[in-house]
Amino acid sequence: MSIASTGPTAPDTVPAADIRGWLVERIAFYLECSTEEIAEDAPLVDIGLDSVYSLTLCGDVEDRFGLTVEPTMAWDHPTVGAITAHLTEELARR
Amino acid sequence: MTTAATTATTAGEWTPYGLTEELEGRFGDPHDAALEFSFARLGALDRAEAFPAEVCRQLDALGLPKWFVPAHLGGELRSSEELLQIIRTLGRRDFTVALAHTKTYLGAVSVWVGGTAEQAAWLAGRVMGGAVVSLALTEQSHGSDLLAGELTAERTRTGGYRLDGEKWLINNATRADLVTVLARTDPAGGARGFSLFLVDKARMTEGSWRPVPALPTHGVRGADISGIAFSGAEIPASARIGAEGAGLEIILKGFQITRTLCSAMTLGMAGQALGVAVAFAERHELYGRRLADLPQAGRTLAEAYADLLAVEAVSLVATRGIHTLTGEQSAVSAVVKYLVPTVGDQLIAGLRQVLGARAMLVADHAEGTFQKIERDHRIVGIFDGSTVVNLNYLINQFPVLVRGWRGGHTDPAGVAASARLDAPPPALDPGALTLYARSGCSVVQALPAAVGRVRDREPDSAVAAQAGRLLVLAGELHDELAAHRPSARDVPERAFALARDYTLLYAASAALHLWLENPAGRWSDTGWLEAVLTRLLRQLSGEPDLDDVDGPALDRLLPTLRRQHREGLLFSLLHCELAEAAGRPAQEGS
Repeated sequence: MSIASTGPTAPDTVPAADIRGWLVERIAFYLECSTEEIAEDAPLVDIGLDSVYSLTLCGDVEDRFGLTVEPTMAWDHPTVGAITAHLTEELARR
Repeated sequence: MTTAATTATTAGEWTPYGLTEELEGRFGDPHDAALEFSFARLGALDRAEAFPAEVCRQLDALGLPKWFVPAHLGGELRSSEELLQIIRTLGRRDFTVALAHTKTYLGAVSVWVGGTAEQAAWLAGRVMGGAVVSLALTEQSHGSDLLAGELTAERTRTGGYRLDGEKWLINNATRADLVTVLARTDPAGGARGFSLFLVDKARMTEGSWRPVPALPTHGVRGADISGIAFSGAEIPASARIGAEGAGLEIILKGFQITRTLCSAMTLGMAGQALGVAVAFAERHELYGRRLADLPQAGRTLAEAYADLLAVEAVSLVATRGIHTLTGEQSAVSAVVKYLVPTVGDQLIAGLRQVLGARAMLVADHAEGTFQKIERDHRIVGIFDGSTVVNLNYLINQFPVLVRGWRGGHTDPAGVAASARLDAPPPALDPGALTLYARSGCSVVQALPAAVGRVRDREPDSAVAAQAGRLLVLAGELHDELAAHRPSARDVPERAFALARDYTLLYAASAALHLWLENPAGRWSDTGWLEAVLTRLLRQLSGEPDLDDVDGPALDRLLPTLRRQHREGLLFSLLHCELAEAAGRPAQEGS
């Protein structure tokens, strides 16, 4: 498999900062706003990502990290900071 | 009329519509006004806005509630197809009855999906004992926005909960013995801020709750569409279904089953509307010919029939899919709940042209059934998630649908088991229900292989050409889905059109799989696939109907429609005898 592979990347560990940066970009894309507007501790629902829409994040996580997470991930970890911590832990565990 | 060759009901052999035939035999001919469960009696009750209590009592006596309880809990429910048949059979006679009686399944499904073994065993006993169970989600000020609900459940010092607030526009709220209530358990709300409770009216202190009176409605006029209000009503902790905060998740999973089953309501009502129209067209004479023999009327009937067969295909494959492609049902249930009621509304409106002014008669033509169905059916598209809500669900899932299509992800065994009507599907594993169809939709994604098989089986045929065209349109549609920019803010009108097209693609795929997976002898008509695909391809391509091009395939369907009507058969892809069937004992089993 070449380094330039476009498939899901699955390195042994992913730094939390990378996860956070990726997540903020993803959410800013959905909300059509700049990444600066996404505060780490703001509930996603409060900044406009409703609970049904947030189910779609599980597909992004799978595409990006090759990691299967519950669709309700953003319900149980409702901020960028909480999701980052959750994904960091899950990625380290596998 | 019925030959042994066409009736595959030899003892022990499973037939897809065996339960329908059994129920029809027990219910008796609905045209017999002496029977309680007749068009005449139910039409009169509807005009009087009276609840069909006697029919519901008879259904209880026949043991119908056993089918609301899964077999592993002692009930009769082995496959969701059985519910599909029950709802369709009741719905063709009277939608108020269908709604009033089968609501208990809707009330109970949260426990089947998310309750403990003890709760499930207890509820199973109650339902089989005849208890009416309701589901109370909506509130007066919030409509279908479930997360805006204000009814609260607060922990008490004794470890139970105290309910305060009111639920509104709830089917069977007043008749029910038990009510599944969605309540706010976290004052801050949110997706984890709500929990479900199975509330036993008999166990609450008198005065801590009260019924809220029923409201007059445009359709289902006799139904108990009322409410329930709680004021410091104490319930035990054991009433909670699933974890605290799991309410929305359980509800959405239950919806994946019940939204799929809503298709049975359309099949029942639209089928009966077609029956009224065909009966009229066979009797009424114009210019010295029977209306059914006039090209324009015949074409309208054939179009309605083809559309009914298309949604029957959707309904069958999607309902078996609850069991066989369970993890994809979040997408599939949205497809079904949008497409089937929408087609049903259009189909019924089209038939109005055949009936003319008689369509509006409240009692003096065919017991007023047609105008009643027209009113009643409109509700199907509204409740249990409106068409817009369901299209939004699909739009949210465009990325996985595209990924699934492009990656060619399919579950071939699951698709075959969904479409092959030779045995009941395996028991449902509620644990496999998930809120996001991460593998996409296998029924659509298996299209390329299916098209290849159609070409192998019938090379150079009309259906092979149609299948090829379908595959091209499917590729184009997925390119458009891929180009749609996902947004949590604004959903452009175009996205709704794409979602609608996806539902048509699902319908065409379901029809192809059914045709491929079943022996030729199972079908009531050999040309059905061509007629169904003709209709779906026109809608999918956005091209207008071309009468001389599309007409022949549709017209070839007309003799089957007329024969099914004449012989008292269900308007269906399959052979199924209704109570009206000639030579059938009128009151078998009752």
